[in-house]
Amino acid sequence: MNILAIDWGNALDVVGFSLTMVFVLLVMIVFVLNIFSRVVAPKVRMPKTPSVNNPVSAPSSEKEYVKEHLPAGDSAAIAMALYLYYEEAHDEESTVITIKTVERRYSPWSSKIYGLNNLVK
Amino acid sequence: MKTKKIIFILIAFLYASISANVSAQTVENPDSSAIVATTSQVSTSETQQINEPTSGPTYVVHSFINFIKSTGFANINWQTIIMIFIACVLLYLAIMKQFEPLLLLPIAFGMLLTNLPGAGLFNADLFAGGHVHWESFVDKGGLLDYLYLGVKLGIYPCLIFVGVGAMTDFGPMLANPKSLLLGAAAQLGIFVTYLAAIGLGFTPQESASIGIIGGADGPTAIFLTSKLAPELLGPIAVAAYSYMALVPVIQPPIMRLLTTKKERAIRMKQLRIVSKKEKIIFPIFATAFISLLLPPAAPLVGSLMLGNLMKESGVVERLSKTVQNELMNIVTIFLGITVGATATASAFLNLQTMEIMVIGVLAFSFGTAGGVLLAKFMNLFTKEKINPLIGSAGVSAVPMAARVSQVVGQETDPGNFLLMHAMGPNVAGVIGSAVTAGLMLTMLS
Repeated sequence: MNILAIDWGNALDVVGFSLTMVFVLLVMIVFVLNIFSRVVAPKVRMPKTPSVNNPVSAPSSEKEYVKEHLPAGDSAAIAMALYLYYEEAHDEESTVITIKTVERRYSPWSSKIYGLNNLVK
Repeated sequence: MKTKKIIFILIAFLYASISANVSAQTVENPDSSAIVATTSQVSTSETQQINEPTSGPTYVVHSFINFIKSTGFANINWQTIIMIFIACVLLYLAIMKQFEPLLLLPIAFGMLLTNLPGAGLFNADLFAGGHVHWESFVDKGGLLDYLYLGVKLGIYPCLIFVGVGAMTDFGPMLANPKSLLLGAAAQLGIFVTYLAAIGLGFTPQESASIGIIGGADGPTAIFLTSKLAPELLGPIAVAAYSYMALVPVIQPPIMRLLTTKKERAIRMKQLRIVSKKEKIIFPIFATAFISLLLPPAAPLVGSLMLGNLMKESGVVERLSKTVQNELMNIVTIFLGITVGATATASAFLNLQTMEIMVIGVLAFSFGTAGGVLLAKFMNLFTKEKINPLIGSAGVSAVPMAARVSQVVGQETDPGNFLLMHAMGPNVAGVIGSAVTAGLMLTMLS
């Protein structure tokens, strides 16, 4: 196979055009998404720093913020708990303690009497 | 005594099958037989009918030989034995090593079925020349031929994409749109492999189908190959899914080689919250935008976004669950078996397959390198640094590639959580490979 005999020009054209197009298209989507996120993205209200004039209002707004957006650590803990629950990785006990009596009931199928006395005549 | 009996039966069976094989060859090659080589006008089958006894011990022997001739054992050859062996190896990898078992198991079993001589489950000649020979379907079509129509007509990959879309969360990508660029850079593997395949003497259509292995996206690879080079579907599907299972082995050395310890330890800013409105509008916008710009990509992108819209809208919970589970599972079975069925001895046991397997690794490696290197390049200009390890997740393979980024990142800094950051390029890679497939279709079909 002679590598020089291959039409490399055409192959490189395909590669160059395709690669450029993929980037152009995705850059355009990035551009649109950036504009889009500014318009549609939820406005996150940051907790106000406690002011000197109104020190009481600060903790309430912080509470409100925490109520709306869980801290990352809490989210991670909830996620882990859910994961363990759904994967059934957590060892669950029945919490009922019973003493099971093992009783050997009489049965003619296991009786020694029949086995010993029914001799072949 | 019992062992002797078994040995005797085995010898008798072997003798019968060899004699049946020899007689079958004699009928096939009239030149080698003195009886059949006569110049009489009587056809071979007629001669057989005349010579065949109708009763007595000779009749029993003849019937037995005919039965042996009709079995697959009489028609087995070394290529078939190798293919059955390969199918068993793939089954072993799927069951014991759990290499992408959901797809590798049906693919391997399809390969086993298609290589059983005489079963006639799959007839490649019904799809010869790249189109379906409908007129022969009723007479010759086997079970797998009918199921294969879903691959041939591009139905299964799109249905799989509906399920993939319903299981995908575009949130991390919407929170960090720059990750789309990493998804684009990871398509580098497709183009490098395309050039390598051209260099090895493949046609541009075949090269594009081989290159798409680098997209690490099974349905896209099958979709493009079924359109451009259907004769290579078996080897390409096996290579794509095998290497996808080997992502945790292939990617980490390349990632470590291209990054410094300091870069691997970069902690990224927590992603912003993405509203439901954004998640609903994105699939509609992306479908319209990409499909208008690149119509051949519409089936894949449209299916992906339809599934995602079902999930994000929250109003069709039942449909969303169905496409994620039942539909996806059913189509996976059909897709796997039929793709495996295309791996017949004549299509699989050749130098081309070996070449595809070798350059398939190249595709994955360059895809990984492309993503990592672009992330490093972006760090030169951006204020908020990106951990280059998330670039490797741009090679689709959702979510395994993202998990690899997380694992390699935690080797350097155990407190660094890159998973959600890596999911952005990961889902961007799915879009990127669908777009690349659409471009290849536009230019080469």
